Amino acid sequence: MHRRTALAATALLTAGALLLSACTGGDSSPDPTTTSAPDPDASAVIRLVLEPSNLDIRETAGAALDQILVDNIYQGLVSRTPEQDIVPALAEDWDVSADGLTYTFSIRDDVTFHDGQELTPQDVAWSLTTRKNTPEWRDSARLANVEAITAEGQDVTLTLTEPDSSLLWNLTGRAGIVLKEGDTVDYKTKANGTGPFLLDSWRQGDSITFVRNDGYWGEEARVAEVVFDYIPETQAALNAALAGEVDVVTGFDATLKEQIEATGDFALVLGASTDKGTLAFNQTTGPLADQRVRQAIRQAIDHEAFVEALGAGETLYGPIPPLDPGHEDLSDIAPYDPEAARALLAEAGVEDLTLELTIPSFYPTTIAQILVSDLNEVGITLEVNSVDFPTWLNDVYFAKDYELSFVLHTEARDFENWANPDYYFTYDSLEVQRLYAEALEATDDAEVSDLLAQAARIVSEEAGGDWLYNGASVVAVGAHITGMPSVNVNERLNLAELAKSTG
Amino acid sequence: MIRYTLTRLALLVLGLLVSSVLIFLTLRVLPGDIAQLIAGTNSTPEQIAAIRDRLGLDQPLLAQYLGWIGGVLRGELGSSLLTGSSVGSELIEKAQVTVPLGVMSLTVALLFSLPFGVLSALRRGRADGTALTVGSQALAAVPVVWAGMMLVVVFAVWLGWLPAQGFPRSGWDDPAAAFRSLLLPALTIGIVEGAMLMRFVRSATMQAIGQDYVRTAAAKGLTRTTALIRHGLPNVGLSVITVLGLQVAGIIVGAVVIEQLFSLPGIGRMLVADVGARDLPKVQGELLVLTGFVLIVGFVVDLVHRAIDPRQREATA
Repeated sequence: MHRRTALAATALLTAGALLLSACTGGDSSPDPTTTSAPDPDASAVIRLVLEPSNLDIRETAGAALDQILVDNIYQGLVSRTPEQDIVPALAEDWDVSADGLTYTFSIRDDVTFHDGQELTPQDVAWSLTTRKNTPEWRDSARLANVEAITAEGQDVTLTLTEPDSSLLWNLTGRAGIVLKEGDTVDYKTKANGTGPFLLDSWRQGDSITFVRNDGYWGEEARVAEVVFDYIPETQAALNAALAGEVDVVTGFDATLKEQIEATGDFALVLGASTDKGTLAFNQTTGPLADQRVRQAIRQAIDHEAFVEALGAGETLYGPIPPLDPGHEDLSDIAPYDPEAARALLAEAGVEDLTLELTIPSFYPTTIAQILVSDLNEVGITLEVNSVDFPTWLNDVYFAKDYELSFVLHTEARDFENWANPDYYFTYDSLEVQRLYAEALEATDDAEVSDLLAQAARIVSEEAGGDWLYNGASVVAVGAHITGMPSVNVNERLNLAELAKSTG
Repeated sequence: MIRYTLTRLALLVLGLLVSSVLIFLTLRVLPGDIAQLIAGTNSTPEQIAAIRDRLGLDQPLLAQYLGWIGGVLRGELGSSLLTGSSVGSELIEKAQVTVPLGVMSLTVALLFSLPFGVLSALRRGRADGTALTVGSQALAAVPVVWAGMMLVVVFAVWLGWLPAQGFPRSGWDDPAAAFRSLLLPALTIGIVEGAMLMRFVRSATMQAIGQDYVRTAAAKGLTRTTALIRHGLPNVGLSVITVLGLQVAGIIVGAVVIEQLFSLPGIGRMLVADVGARDLPKVQGELLVLTGFVLIVGFVVDLVHRAIDPRQREATA
């Protein structure tokens, strides 16, 4: 008689299975074999990793905002290409006086904001002036050398107190963003810019949708809609790609290349980036104040192992990556040599050294693993303190309460941090600070690069920090997608060229 | 019964008050704050001080707590420091994912645990019964994350029947799509929770089998199964209801994990993001609602348990 109970249970299960199988179909996977013309009505779905905490481009820090909002929604006088060249945007062209103290920009006269208001040179002057005078606004300090900002006719003129070779570059970022004077938009959740896309909606904790700006002053966007799908988990992102739910996966794990390419629907594209896997040494006191100990740690680390474990990127032995001015190959300064490392430690009189590494928990665990085993090899015990990002920010960045720290610094042209003794790197070299100041004041690009290269060499020689690797932008691009940027996509994702064909 | 209800209600209110203090204080112990995150790297102490001042973070803790709890008593749970949106409206929006997910998970857990739990008790000592018991123990030990990944690989990637992640942007406007997107997550939570529940059902059933009233009923001519179903199962049901309160808490925890894994825009994922952004007014409002929910479920379970169990009614009558 027990069989009846068993039967009932089986029937229940079968019903469940039927219910499941009834829910089939629906998703159409992309067909890679057809390559047809771009579809102007297409909607492209792009997987991103890190969602902005809010959309306030004026104030809220974070590459997650710059990545999608700058260029696509908001624009400045000038912009930067993936190759890091500076190109016109809201300014048609510009003039720099011979002494490097006066910048004159001619502003386009055909630009309207997304809400229909016209862009005037006065808006530009107001935006830059307000930025400069509002310390809470991001990058306001980057306009510190600007003495006056005036609008006259279609021109806006910036007068500097001293030459600043980084000014134009700074204007391609937050410091240069142009907003409508007196705009009442709620910048935290809405946007009103001049770019080729409009902010359509933000579903917090899920996705942000942009639509084409039909009134754009330049060439119109080639897709009707872009959806940024925030999928933090790598595995979930891979599954979404395999199931045909996304068109592009950024921040992909290069070691999964074969899995994603096996479908034939995706190709993995590796682009250069300015991501620097930075191992910071707190060198104010203790054993790390000794340059020999820092150098020993650098030589104990097998940098190739990181590139291998991540499946992408390059080794980097100094603070400046190849995309930035001032890069040179510094691999001879700290070659992998555990024997030399042990000798340096002995020379410094350091025995049984135990150090703590503070590392935000979202980085791959392989990074800490490699460090632990490499340092163990030369007699240093590394204790790993894995923390969430706000804790890292509090303990390491602001309180400088750490011994070793790992963070991926993604920002381009951020050498200034090595010339700032108050930065959490705690690296203090008057010579480097002097060279950097000279580089800022130089007006010739080649001279700037040369001065930065000299300074970077000193930082590396004095083991001011270590650079575990120069990350690559790893993007899996759907076969039906063209115009997807591949360089430095963690920092900027200009989608003006993005197109999708539906065959 | 009325006196019991009132006593129990007073305990519930006290529990909520204590929880609010614990939630508030625990969050204040977290290192780092929202002003640092807004200002980010390349910021100065002056910038951070200005942001703290504007957000009211420099007020004394007691003033902050009283301000919050006063708002809660007026029905205002607080609002996000980052977006200004109210905790209540955010919770209602995200509940459209999490509540159906929880209900579906619980349904799966019950559909799975009740028949198999009873069956494994009845078939105790035989091969199929042992297989069920061992299977449930193995399943209960499986991490939710792993179970979810396996289900995705089979049903979304290989078979392509169900979405691998995400929730339709149109929400419940497309009920079929919304339901489909929650099926795998609900199965994941439901199977793992159900496996735990099944062991409970099994032991409750075995206990019932041995009870005098079942034996008496069988002696009076009912088959063992009928006797068990008529007289034993209500008692098994009672035990299940008792652990249901715990199950609900388990499902909420499961939802936090599963919403990450499946990128579902629900309460769990919102909570994790808000903690990561140190948006404390929002987090404390969310946690208070979740805690309140679990406490209320426990309260209702107690009342129901009492109402349907004659022994307990008589004990304090």
